[in-house]
Amino acid sequence: MTAGLEHYLAVSVLLFCLGLAGVLTRRNLLVLYMSLELMLNAANLALVAFSRFRHGIDGQVMVFFIITVAAAEVAVGLALLVALYRRRRSAQVEDLATLKL
Amino acid sequence: MDTLSFIVLCPAAGAAAIALTPRRFQFLFRLIALGTTLFSLLGALALFAGFEPGTARIQFEEYMPWVDSVGIGFHLGADGLNLGLIVMAALVGFAAAAASREITDRQKEYYLLLLVMICGVLGTFASLDLFFFYFFHELALVPTFLMMGIWGRGERRAYATFKITIYLSLGALLVLLGLIGLYVVSDAKTFDVVELGRHLAAHPLSESAQATLFPLLLFGFGILVSLWPFHTWAPIAYDTAPTATAMLHAGVLKKFGLYGLLRVAVPMLPAAARDWIGVLAVLCLGNLLYCGLVAMRQRNLTLLLGNSSVAHMGFVFLGIASLTLVGITGAVVVMVAHGLLAALSFGLAGFLRERLGTVEFDNLGGLLQRMPFVGTALALALLAGCGLPGFANFPGEMLVLFGAWKAHPVVVSLAAWAGLVVGAVYALRAVRRLLHGPLPARWAGLTDLAGAWPKTPFALLLAALILLGCFPRLLTERIQATTLDIIHAVHGPSLAESPATPNNPQTQPLQSSSSVAPAMTPMLLQKPPPTDARAQQEDS
Amino acid sequence: MSPQIQLVWLILLLPLAAAAGITLATLRHGRLSAALSIGAVIAAFAASLLLFVGHVQGRVAVPWISLTDGTTAFLVDLGLRLDPLSALMLLVVTGVAGVIHLYSYGYMADDPGMGRYYAGLSFFTFAMTGIVLADNFLVLFIFWELVGAASYLLIGFWHQRPAAADAGKKAFLVNRIGDFGFLLGLLLLWATLGSLDYAVLESKLDANPHALGPLATAVGLLVFCGAVGKSAQFPLHVWLPDAMEGPTPVSALIHAATMVAAGVYLLCRVFFLLALPDSQALPVIAWTGAITALIAALMAIQQNDLKRILAYSTLSQLGYMVMAVGLSGAQTGPDAGFHHLITHAFFKALLFLGAGSVIHALHHEQDIWHMGALGRRLPLTFVTFLAGTLALCGLPPFSGFFSKDAILALAQHQSPPLFALGVGVAFLTAFYMARLVFVAFLGPARTQQAREAHESPLIMTVPLALLTVPTVLSGFWGLGQACAHALGPSGPAPTGIWATLAEPFTHAPLAAAGGLLAALGGMAVAGFLYHGQLTDPLPSRLGALARILANRFYIDEFYAWLIRVTQEPLARCADWIDRWIIAGLMVRGTHGTFEIAGRLLRLAQTGNLQTYALWFAAGALLLLAGLLAR
Repeated sequence: MTAGLEHYLAVSVLLFCLGLAGVLTRRNLLVLYMSLELMLNAANLALVAFSRFRHGIDGQVMVFFIITVAAAEVAVGLALLVALYRRRRSAQVEDLATLKL
Repeated sequence: MDTLSFIVLCPAAGAAAIALTPRRFQFLFRLIALGTTLFSLLGALALFAGFEPGTARIQFEEYMPWVDSVGIGFHLGADGLNLGLIVMAALVGFAAAAASREITDRQKEYYLLLLVMICGVLGTFASLDLFFFYFFHELALVPTFLMMGIWGRGERRAYATFKITIYLSLGALLVLLGLIGLYVVSDAKTFDVVELGRHLAAHPLSESAQATLFPLLLFGFGILVSLWPFHTWAPIAYDTAPTATAMLHAGVLKKFGLYGLLRVAVPMLPAAARDWIGVLAVLCLGNLLYCGLVAMRQRNLTLLLGNSSVAHMGFVFLGIASLTLVGITGAVVVMVAHGLLAALSFGLAGFLRERLGTVEFDNLGGLLQRMPFVGTALALALLAGCGLPGFANFPGEMLVLFGAWKAHPVVVSLAAWAGLVVGAVYALRAVRRLLHGPLPARWAGLTDLAGAWPKTPFALLLAALILLGCFPRLLTERIQATTLDIIHAVHGPSLAESPATPNNPQTQPLQSSSSVAPAMTPMLLQKPPPTDARAQQEDS
Repeated sequence: MSPQIQLVWLILLLPLAAAAGITLATLRHGRLSAALSIGAVIAAFAASLLLFVGHVQGRVAVPWISLTDGTTAFLVDLGLRLDPLSALMLLVVTGVAGVIHLYSYGYMADDPGMGRYYAGLSFFTFAMTGIVLADNFLVLFIFWELVGAASYLLIGFWHQRPAAADAGKKAFLVNRIGDFGFLLGLLLLWATLGSLDYAVLESKLDANPHALGPLATAVGLLVFCGAVGKSAQFPLHVWLPDAMEGPTPVSALIHAATMVAAGVYLLCRVFFLLALPDSQALPVIAWTGAITALIAALMAIQQNDLKRILAYSTLSQLGYMVMAVGLSGAQTGPDAGFHHLITHAFFKALLFLGAGSVIHALHHEQDIWHMGALGRRLPLTFVTFLAGTLALCGLPPFSGFFSKDAILALAQHQSPPLFALGVGVAFLTAFYMARLVFVAFLGPARTQQAREAHESPLIMTVPLALLTVPTVLSGFWGLGQACAHALGPSGPAPTGIWATLAEPFTHAPLAAAGGLLAALGGMAVAGFLYHGQLTDPLPSRLGALARILANRFYIDEFYAWLIRVTQEPLARCADWIDRWIIAGLMVRGTHGTFEIAGRLLRLAQTGNLQTYALWFAAGALLLLAGLLAR
């Protein structure tokens, strides 16, 4: 059986959903970040698959952008996380509810 | 500078002068206020004297284009509808400035706000452009809220201020929606009242458009005039407000809504007006009967006067709801008369409150023995309020009752009861509890309003009431032609019944108007085809 | 139309000018104010006399409100009309008013408010002449209300006294209830016939008597409502006895001679409206008058206050007049009622002024059981009072005899039950008046004050004498003829004193005899019961009945209960609506709605990152679904 586009997309969707589930349910911020990365990479996979099977380079170019942005976002995010941890001694999501009305 | 601009902008100039005067010269503030309002009053009297009766043409017209692309221009003019109101507003403004002796704290801000309010009030009646009509109204309304909040009296002043602010802002919002809606739907590209009227006479709006816009305007204006059941803000507001604010608001600013109905809503949306008028007739009973009964239960003079003021608005609504010449003329007369009366009553009540510290019936009695002038003036004001002939309210109320009888006999009967009997009950009760009877010992040292100057505003208002009561022709012959125009706009110029012979051989035919351009008349005489079809024909 | 017709403006406006002048300038100077007021009314009387003697007739008018749009017209002129009816009434009104103005100079001499009093009196005279001269319903209504206002001011003249202030308020309010009915009648009239002018209405109804159709009765009765209020007919009679709180000359002028007669005058003026073939108003009017006459006479026999007895007597006589109008036919017009109005004005004013003289002499004592033997101490007052009493009882040759006989003759001719009632009331009238005379003027003096009383000054006794003249003689002046002429066709006049005296007996012997016997009988019974008594013997004989009569059939109490029972629920209902619906549902409801909405929306702001992420994801999913579904 050759792996067609739909197989790659299915994997991508699965990865995305796993990532989404992680973002919505995990309590530890680091794990949240990792899930977020997983969602991003799922999008990357989809894009590469489309590029490969539709014979266009655009998808792969976009992947580069996404990887760069993801890297930057993780850097900033981890810095924020460290700063927050220093103030609150906690990296749990439910302890960061100061914007509650 | 032309008369109307002079009248409207004098108080504004006064306000600017006060703003620039240093606080050291405190005596100047009151003088400037009295001076500018006096000039406005003289201007208004000149306006009245120079007005030509028997014609519906707009006189003393001034026009200055402002934002041509949208159709806004500074358009002032006097016709039968607003002449009486302008003069009344100028007189009440002067009286209000004179009645502000009680304010000793922050006089500069007070007189500034007062003059801005008076300018707004005069401007709103003189304006013939919807934008400035609304603008001047807001210019008058905002100082009301401020004055009530800052110089208000009583423990419930915060509540009263919030209540009036929210209610009247809501009303003004509905009006704004209606006015903008009118502008947009009519596609006339102008805010000018005269132009818009002509345009809508030629191309009336569709039934559905009218049915959406008219209720907005009706209830918006209605809330501003304390139409039942949106009236509860009024009595407590007048109890809390400083004297001058109460005089100006109850006397003058409240008439804005009624004026708006007659100037904008009824003539421009005739089909909807005819449909909604039944609702208005029933609601006006709420004003007359219900508020009259509530007034009967009051033990506080200003609350009683406040409820009475709301009740009198019922008469004006009834007159408007009659959609007849007699009824609407009566409504305008009652507007002018009630303005003078409310100013007089609230002015006197404010004086009493300031001098005695209370206006509760339980604490007072026998005031006529120590205060003959104020007591007599108050008694006359209360009697005028229950429709005693000799005062301007009587001819107005009679015209309203006679005019509305054919259309709404049941409502008129109940209105007559409310006006004649219920009105007399609470008016006489107030006289009995405050002025008659024995004098409690604590008031034995009271003195009356001394000197000629303090008495002048009240004497002027009384004199105006009596003058218009004895010679209502002064008003009616100037109002008639404009009212005839409004009737024609609502019903169409050819009335269906065959004319009955007038009974008095000295009838002269009236000069009918000019706001319906002659070319349009033949079109209106034929039954027009359904307006949607015609509008589409016009577009294509 | 002669130029003398312009005098009517003078008659109308001079008293107003006097009132205005006094109010603005001379309030503090009592005597000056009195001079102004008396001068104005004397001038008005002189002008009225000139106009009457000269048989001047016509109409003057200034336009007041003119509104017309081609189909309906509201044209009201301030019009004044002089015809035999108004000329005669004007003479009576200004004459009696003039006498009372003079009398008041003495009566109110010590009162600090004399200026205010004369201003009120002049204002009243102005308004009353306005009613007499009005030529259309709206002008009449204006003066009708003004007369009510004048009455309010004068009844409550001593406003420091709670009783007086309350009485003034009651009078005004009860009158207003009558005016409400009146106004409804006017509205109907204008809506159906298009005019309020008497002349126009009369000609329209002459041309087409069925113009009002089924509304004729309603209009007639509604217009009668106004008369019920102003002339204090049952059930709106309750204000008149209380109105005695005012100074006695005021009671004489307003509540005996003129204002209360205005209702009867109105009925005479617009009789054409009441006598329409479709209208059933006249029988109702007749019975209302009869009932009023009866209950007032019954209430009078147990009153102990001098002025109250006279007040109830006035009520009773007004009932007679109204009954007479109700019994009149369209051909003859209501001349019997009008005749009695005029004679009543004279003798009742005389009686009240006499009572005032007594009260003044006894330093404001009004209870007849604190009087006695005043006939000897106040001879002039007694003689004039007696003349008035005999006239009221209807004894020949006094004027009352002729007018009462005319009424009884009319009743006998038209309606036997009303005739019997009329005779019965005549008996009661004689009874209570004789009771008054026996107790107050004859018999033993019951108090020290009564023993020491002395006659009033000339300024008060001369008016008494002046009024006695028409009281005694007007029967011989052709007054009946003048009334008949004013209101319709009049027959041949008898000539000579004996012929005049005998005429009622030849014209309607049963009525004349009945009235005479009733009067004599009443006086005899009263003499028998009350001669020389120290206290009232009736309560012990009549027991509960006497108590009911003394308490005026508890009508006032009934009204107070009625008002309480209707007003309380209404007020509570209004309060409930105010509290729960308007303030509750609408104001607090709106406030509450916004607040709840705010609170609900606030729940979405959890501060929790993952909640936001969930919403975000859900939204994105929905958007995606929407996009894909297309």
